[in-house]
Amino acid sequence: MAADDVRAIRIDAVTAVFTLPNDIAAIEAGRRALFDFLDAGSLGGRVVNRIEVVFEEVVSNIVRHGFAAGSGQSIRVTATAGRDRIVLRFEDDGIAFDPLAAVPRPAAATLAETVLGGLGLPLVRKLAAATYHDRRDDAVEPDGFRVVNDLTVAIARE
Amino acid sequence: MDLTSSEIDGITNVALAGRLDTEGVGAVELAFTATIVPARLPAVIDLGAVSFIGSLGVRLIIGTARALATKGNKLALYGAGEAVAEIIETTGLDELVPVVATQAEALAAVGG
Repeated sequence: MAADDVRAIRIDAVTAVFTLPNDIAAIEAGRRALFDFLDAGSLGGRVVNRIEVVFEEVVSNIVRHGFAAGSGQSIRVTATAGRDRIVLRFEDDGIAFDPLAAVPRPAAATLAETVLGGLGLPLVRKLAAATYHDRRDDAVEPDGFRVVNDLTVAIARE
Repeated sequence: MDLTSSEIDGITNVALAGRLDTEGVGAVELAFTATIVPARLPAVIDLGAVSFIGSLGVRLIIGTARALATKGNKLALYGAGEAVAEIIETTGLDELVPVVATQAEALAAVGG
């Protein structure tokens, strides 16, 4: 699967399901696929940005930490456009990991005290209206997609 | 992701344009730090043409500001649009470096 090979699984009026290859270069292709489905014009700039940040942070975190490089594994993304929320669900078969379990570090008072890294997932939690994680322990779907981690993030419409 | 730089009265001015996402940070990180850190001057960063910033972009700015601070120099950000400003505030970056509206304010923030 090429880095920019996003595969649409199902798209209807309220839901789009697609898979992304395990590759940083796939994030941009995935973002385009997401906004081919979502009507950015109806969402407003702040909501669009929150969706983009959540998508970027979650997918890049899975690619960088969830898989061995070049493993050929993929990430399944389900986007649902609800009346009050946009819901993004990320499923992968990478290393079992609860992204919501980490306790955010206290804010550093000075630059010298700042620890670099670890900003992405706390940022997702702050931007989200709700988050939910389920460890599926190798659940195999009827279509053969194997799921270990299942993260859902809801972003409120304004 | 594009980067242009100049020097204004002994202060490095760097203008970024594009998306500071995973790919954008990868493209600009080396040039960004190489432009700012070895100069050993205060620096101001124009974010007016940055349409997106993620955690890696915030991390790049914090790391660069920290490197400057070890030599007693400051870094300030200016011109961020609404989307970028929200992420700067949400991550607390604005509590670590001055974040202002204009170049003049940024130059004043690092030059004093």
